[in-house]
Amino acid sequence: MRISFNWLSKYIKLKISPEKLAEKLTSVGLEVESIERLGGQFDNFVVGEIVSVRKHTNADKLTVCLVSVGKKRGSTADDILQIVCGAPNVTAGQKVAVGLVGAVVPRNQHDPAGKPFTLGNVKIRGEESSGMICSEYELGIGEDANGILVLDPSAKVGASLAKHFGLDDVVFEIGITPNRPDCLSHIGIAREAAAILKGKVELPRVHIRENAEQISKEFSVDVRNPEGCPRYSARLVTGVVVAPSPQWLQASLKSVGLRPINNVVDVTNFVMFEFGQPLHAFDGDLIHKKKIIVRNASDGEKFVTLDGIERTLTASTLMIWDADRPIAIAGVMGGMNSEISASTTSVFLESAFFNPSSVRKTAKRLGILSDAAFRFERGTDPNTTVDAVDRAASMLAEIAGGQVHRGVIDVYPKKIKDRRVRLRTERVNKLLGTNISAPSMKKMLASIGISTQSKSKGVMLCTVPTFRPDIEQEIDLVEEVARLHGYTKIEDKMMSNIDFSHRSSHGDALAQLRNALCGLGFNEVVTNSLIDQTLVKPFSPNVVEIKNPISKDLSALRPSTVFSMLQAVYHNINYGNGDLKLFEIGRTYEKVAKEIPTAFIQGYKENGVISVCMTGKRNTVSWNSSGRSIDIYDLKGVVQALLDKILLDKFQFIYYDSRSPLTEETIVVEKDGTYVGFLGKVKADLLKKFSVESDVYVSELSISELVQTQKKFKMYVPPTKFPSVRRDLAFIVAKDVLFEAIERQVVLEGGHLLKGVTLFDVFEGKPLPEGKKSFAISVELNSAEKTLTEDEAAKVIDRVVKGVSQAFGAELRSSS
Amino acid sequence: MPDIADNLLHDIAELRGVAEHTASLIASADDLEKYRIEFLARKGSVGQLFDRLKSVPIESKPAIGKELNALRSFLDSLYLSAKEKIEKPGGEKGQFIDLTLPGRGEAIGTVHPITQTLQDIVSIFVSMGFGIVDGPEIEDDYHNFEALNFPPDHPARDMQDTFFIENDVLLRTHTSPVQIRVMKEQRPPVRVVVPGRVYRNEAISARSYCLFHQVEGLYVDKNVSFSELKGTLVAFAKEFYGSGLKYKFRPSFFPFTEPSLEMDITCFLCSGKGCRVCKHTGWLEVLGAGMVHPNVLKNVDYDPEEFTGFAFGIGVERTTILRHGISDIRLLFENDLRFLKQF
Repeated sequence: MRISFNWLSKYIKLKISPEKLAEKLTSVGLEVESIERLGGQFDNFVVGEIVSVRKHTNADKLTVCLVSVGKKRGSTADDILQIVCGAPNVTAGQKVAVGLVGAVVPRNQHDPAGKPFTLGNVKIRGEESSGMICSEYELGIGEDANGILVLDPSAKVGASLAKHFGLDDVVFEIGITPNRPDCLSHIGIAREAAAILKGKVELPRVHIRENAEQISKEFSVDVRNPEGCPRYSARLVTGVVVAPSPQWLQASLKSVGLRPINNVVDVTNFVMFEFGQPLHAFDGDLIHKKKIIVRNASDGEKFVTLDGIERTLTASTLMIWDADRPIAIAGVMGGMNSEISASTTSVFLESAFFNPSSVRKTAKRLGILSDAAFRFERGTDPNTTVDAVDRAASMLAEIAGGQVHRGVIDVYPKKIKDRRVRLRTERVNKLLGTNISAPSMKKMLASIGISTQSKSKGVMLCTVPTFRPDIEQEIDLVEEVARLHGYTKIEDKMMSNIDFSHRSSHGDALAQLRNALCGLGFNEVVTNSLIDQTLVKPFSPNVVEIKNPISKDLSALRPSTVFSMLQAVYHNINYGNGDLKLFEIGRTYEKVAKEIPTAFIQGYKENGVISVCMTGKRNTVSWNSSGRSIDIYDLKGVVQALLDKILLDKFQFIYYDSRSPLTEETIVVEKDGTYVGFLGKVKADLLKKFSVESDVYVSELSISELVQTQKKFKMYVPPTKFPSVRRDLAFIVAKDVLFEAIERQVVLEGGHLLKGVTLFDVFEGKPLPEGKKSFAISVELNSAEKTLTEDEAAKVIDRVVKGVSQAFGAELRSSS
Repeated sequence: MPDIADNLLHDIAELRGVAEHTASLIASADDLEKYRIEFLARKGSVGQLFDRLKSVPIESKPAIGKELNALRSFLDSLYLSAKEKIEKPGGEKGQFIDLTLPGRGEAIGTVHPITQTLQDIVSIFVSMGFGIVDGPEIEDDYHNFEALNFPPDHPARDMQDTFFIENDVLLRTHTSPVQIRVMKEQRPPVRVVVPGRVYRNEAISARSYCLFHQVEGLYVDKNVSFSELKGTLVAFAKEFYGSGLKYKFRPSFFPFTEPSLEMDITCFLCSGKGCRVCKHTGWLEVLGAGMVHPNVLKNVDYDPEEFTGFAFGIGVERTTILRHGISDIRLLFENDLRFLKQF
């Protein structure tokens, strides 16, 4: 909300700089977000008076003028400048706009592009010239370049031009929170300023000369929905001449960001920004049968609003009607059919109080953002309608030459009274942790228009004016006291039992996983959980969709982090980073049947997952090794390391699972038969959707499954004191024999002495026969009781070799 | 002539000592060559001793010969080890080792700056005795708005543009609904923080994103006051931003707290002089807070006369951007390696 300092000064004496005022307003909750100085383009321009003129001796078209520009500081004599002027209309005695030396003239009328230029002391054909008498064009306020701008004779010589135009203003942008509709006007802000500055608000004095027929004899108002419209006040002004508003009114409206339209519309806007009461002006001659009816529309009815858009109404839309047709959407926007036009002479002014929630529903449904709806939906003051309409009528009489008809139509069947709220002083101090006395509280409340009455000891009854709809209960008064007392003055007490002695990083499983992955060289990413639904739907049946997405590419919640991970991969490859090791700890989302019990919202499930992604080269290329491309075993190693850390040996890998819609070469991770997650190579068609060309390996594991299993304390197993025996064995087997099967057989045959099996080579090709491969494994044997003899070791190895040979038709290629 | 043999044995022992001492002083190739000529050359000391062997009686020759051979191989070994010593560091004959070649191995990974900020914030409150709780991102209207004192059709709802999934189901716009969930689960005292992801249906720009993270805090007990709220926030801010911090509180509005406040701290980039980041005000808004509204307490069946409490919310992205001088919030979600690796 824009508030003009000059405008504000109409209602309260401000002996304080705008900056200081801004600081004070902010300290009571009216946050001044920015301060803008207007009129800066007229720095170094003043009002001057032409004292004398004479013809330039060396140029026919030039005049040499002596111009008074007021008194110099510290001098009693007027400062007289000699200025050479080329305008035909220059004569002595004129009040003119003078640019002093150093002024930047907004537009150069001798330059086709009209570029600005800076004035200096110059000699024009031998005559000194110190400044410039400007045209409307040069000042940038009009298009007339044929002569100098002649100011009103009342203009004050020496005054700054900005001040003369009413442009020397400071405008605050104030962030008004939705609970303070009373502050959406200059009088509202003045009230707050008065409370802070201990000043007094002077409301505008309204004198209306009523000199035409009683309004009620001409017009009638019938409110058929008093709930939607608890009060409807109106005045009639006729004989109005629609014209542009006077300079000061235009400047006021411009300062708060409004575009001046004509005197009638401008007056209604001015009063809205003055009182906070939205007004609507109808062309009285266009109101059929001079009848106003306030009632709802019917479903499907059409109506064209002021902005020329046809709107479809519903039975819950409150409308203003004349005898035959709707003429405005109540509190939201007027209609084309009764709009003020250049030929309007009769103005019917509406000043009503509409139900906030009704206005909000209508404005929201129709998507209309109007200054009126903005105020009505936050809550206007039902007891201001008549003051506001009186003010507008008197202004119309004054600036548009209208005649105000006698009386006000005021349909207000049930007066809305000031609210009474009880306040306990002890409660205030307990909640705030303060020790404010009852009399100070009374004083503070009185400063914002809340009168108090002592009831019993420690209890006061507060009368809250109707312009403060936000104050409904005791806590609201506590807040008023707190902000007027000043947040700064309230002591910063510590919670009694705070101390920092236990500051430590909480070592939960997630932190462990995160540290482990960082240790493995992975970079954590945080990706958007919103994604394009058309991308994910082919891969997942239960996608959660957003009803009102910002855009199509953010129209669903991700069913898997793989999708958002691929976006990160795409982005990095685009920027030339093709070697990626990324991980994310995040959530996935899915729709589930309503009957299935979920943790929170029925029908929706959120799963915490950790996802790991690898692509590009295994190692960064270094000076004596070239990077090898990442394959599934690299990812498997990482996942295994993580699972080892968290799940110990409780997990199983399930191979050759073809269920995963996202990956191939998929390995599923289970824990006691429960699904934990998967790893695999992203399928080509999915990669294509993300325009990624390199192979990408991903894994997604459920955090809840990982964390549940984590043991708090790991039990220590002492290492054996006796040396291990190692034997290397190479078996030749058929190509399709799985290593896992061989390993299982080795473990089975090895018995309790076998402590480890390590695969150290896999070989295919010559000299091995076609269709064969060799697995070279290293077997570790160890006993907890004694050093194993050659014989004991050999016995185990023989058993292993025999067992593997029998089970797989394997042939021992070598042993050592 | 036993004394010829004895003399020779004596000289062998003596030469061993002299050579050992000389070898220990070898520091250059020149020294090494001098050593070789003095002791090992054909006319050197060892050679001279071998010459004297001729005059040794036949019965003593084998023993003394053995001694001489031992002497020569000892002096040879001295020569070789001295040679190795002077040639090793960059000598022209040995292998040249360039210790300036880059080390091998991989860089340690990085934790995302959002996570780092979140962890830092949470750990401070944990050390103050706050527990950590979690809640759903897919929420219902009741928890996200209604129970938090946002009446239906109230303009306060405009403060938080919402993504809807169904009429009544939405993506939470703040972590505050977890307040309701926690309080419905337990009786006071309640002292928790809620870190989590929230969503706003706003156009994506350098300053705003469709989602962000918050850390919500809630403390409800008997006699919790506004004064303690301020104290707690100041304690947090000093721990997080540094103890020299300047701060101010100003009234604000949130439907679920009253009185409400916003906390500003002196801009740490310009020390309050005014810069682009603080929009030339010298202040940075860092969090919002307030006393839990009695209506909210009533909604969870707490008696507002018996219990009072405070709640606060800290924006993690905003905090991250400020403390790392990041100009565009979108960088946080692009996950560009060149960005991530800086943290």
